[in-house]
Amino acid sequence: MTAMVRAEGVTKRFGPVEVLKGIDLTVAPGEVACLLGPSGSGKSTFLRCVNHLERIDGGQLSVDGELVGYRRQGDRLYELKAREVAVRRRDIGMVFQRFNLFPHLTALGNVTEAPVRVLRTPRAQAREEALRLLDRVGLADRAHHYPSQLSGGQQQRVAIARAMAMRPKLMLFDEPTSALDPELVGEVLDVMKGLAADGMTMVVVTHEMGFAREVADQVAFLDDGVVVEVGPPDEVLGRPRHERTRAFLDKVL
Amino acid sequence: MTTTDTPAVRVVPVRHYGRWLTALVVAGLAALFLRALLTSPNLEPGTVAHYLFQDYVLDGVLTTLWLTLLAMVLGTAGGILLAVLRLSDNPVLRGVSWTFIWVFRGTPLLVQIIFFGFLGALFPRITLSVPFTGTVLFDRPTSVVVTGTVAAVLALSLNEMAYAAEVIRGGILAVDGGQTEAAAALGMSPTLTLRRVVLPQAMRVIIPPMGNETITMLKSTALVSIIAGRDLMTAVQSVYQNNYKVIPLLVVAAIWYLALVSLLSAGQWLVERRFGRGFARGGVR
Repeated sequence: MTAMVRAEGVTKRFGPVEVLKGIDLTVAPGEVACLLGPSGSGKSTFLRCVNHLERIDGGQLSVDGELVGYRRQGDRLYELKAREVAVRRRDIGMVFQRFNLFPHLTALGNVTEAPVRVLRTPRAQAREEALRLLDRVGLADRAHHYPSQLSGGQQQRVAIARAMAMRPKLMLFDEPTSALDPELVGEVLDVMKGLAADGMTMVVVTHEMGFAREVADQVAFLDDGVVVEVGPPDEVLGRPRHERTRAFLDKVL
Repeated sequence: MTTTDTPAVRVVPVRHYGRWLTALVVAGLAALFLRALLTSPNLEPGTVAHYLFQDYVLDGVLTTLWLTLLAMVLGTAGGILLAVLRLSDNPVLRGVSWTFIWVFRGTPLLVQIIFFGFLGALFPRITLSVPFTGTVLFDRPTSVVVTGTVAAVLALSLNEMAYAAEVIRGGILAVDGGQTEAAAALGMSPTLTLRRVVLPQAMRVIIPPMGNETITMLKSTALVSIIAGRDLMTAVQSVYQNNYKVIPLLVVAAIWYLALVSLLSAGQWLVERRFGRGFARGGVR
C-alpha cells in the first residue's frame, strides 16, 4: 500500500540555519501521527513542508505517492508552478495554531468558500455540506456568525470544518490547541478524536500528551531537526529509549 | 441594616471657568466674522442665488462629477495593477511600477494637466501601425485626439493611479500573512486568493484613504480649468471674467463643491460600514 506521507532525508534551511537535518517519517493511510518536541525542533516546519508552504532543500517528500512541489520526468525534478501546487493542496487539509479564519466571511462562508471557488461545487450543495460539517463540529447554530463573534475553540472547530469541506485525504494540524484558553482545548481535541475514529489520516504537531497517548498510532519525537525516536505512543511516551526524549517528557508531563 | 449612615452629601462637579470663557470669546469672534461676511456689499447673495442654478453652472457641476468619477475609476483600476506590480517577484515589473509612481507623485498635478493639454507639442501625431509591414491602423494629429477633456481625464487618472497604488499596496500589506497561507492550504490559486481573501480584507484599510482621495480629486478637477476642461470652475471663471463678479461666483462654486463633498462623505460612511463586516469594532450590526 502507498504511504500517505513518506519523508526521506528531508532537509530545510532558513539562511544559514539548518532547521531540518534529514527527517525520515512514514504515515500509512488511516494513521494518526503525532509530532512532539521542544520549540525550535523543526516539527512545525516539517508539517508546513508536507503541503509545500515551505520548500524543502533536500531529500524527498511525497504525499499519496506524489512528490510534493515537484514533478518527476525521467531523471529530472521540475518545480511545480504556483497553480499546480494549488491543485495538489486540494487534497491536503491544514489547521493552523492561530485558526486563520477569513474574518470577512461568516462561519458558513468560510466553509463554503473553497468548495465553491476551487472545486466548483454548486453553491446549494456546498452550503448543505457545510451545514452538515458545522453540525458535526457542534456549531450548527453558529453558521451565520463572523469569526470575531466566536470563541477561540469555536473558531478552531470552524477551521477544521473548513479544511474538511475539501474532502481531504490527509489532515495536517499545526499546534491546533496552543492558542486556546485551557478550558477550550477539550472541545477541539474531541472533534479531532472524532475525525481519527472515522479513519482520517492525520499528522498532528501538538503538546497535548494525553491526546497523543490516546489517539496516535505513532509518535515521533523531534529535536534539533531530526527524528530522535519514533514508535507507538506507549513506547515513546512510556518507555523512551533516548535521553533527549526522556528529558523532554520529564519537563512536559 | 448594614449600610453605614452617612449624612446626605452634595456632589459638586468641577467648574470649568476657563472653558466657559474660551467658548464665549470664540463664539464672539465667530459672530463678528459672520457679520462682516454677511453685511459685505460685495457678497451679493442675490447674485449668488441667480447663478447657482444657471444651466452652464449645472453643466459644469455635471462635468466635475463625471470627471471625478472617471478619474477615480480609472485611477483605482490602474492603482490595483500598479500595486500588484510593485509586490511582484519580477524586478522589471517592480521597477516600472516604482518609476511610474515616482514620476506622477513627484510632479505637481497642475504641471501634469498642462503637459497633457500641450501633448501635441511633444508628439505632433499619434500613429498606430503594424511593425515591419507599413500598415497604418491609426494616424491623427494629437491635438484632435487629445482634446481638453481627454487631457483632463488622462492627467487626473494617471496622477490618481500613483496615489491609489500606494494606498492599495498598504492595504494589501496590512492583511495578515496567515490569511494567504490558509487560502493556499485550501488549494486556492494566488489570483483567487488575492481576489477573494486579500483584497476584501484590504478594502477595510483602503477605503478611508480612498474616500479622502475621492474628495481631493473632486476639488482637484478645478485645476483643469487651466486647459478649459469645461468643469464647474471653468464655468464660473468664464462668467466672472465677463462681469467681474468674482466673489459671488466663487461662492457659487464653493457651495457646489461643499455640497458634493458632503454627499461623498455620506457615501464613504456607507461603504465603510459594508466592508467593516466581521470586524468587531464598528463592524458587526
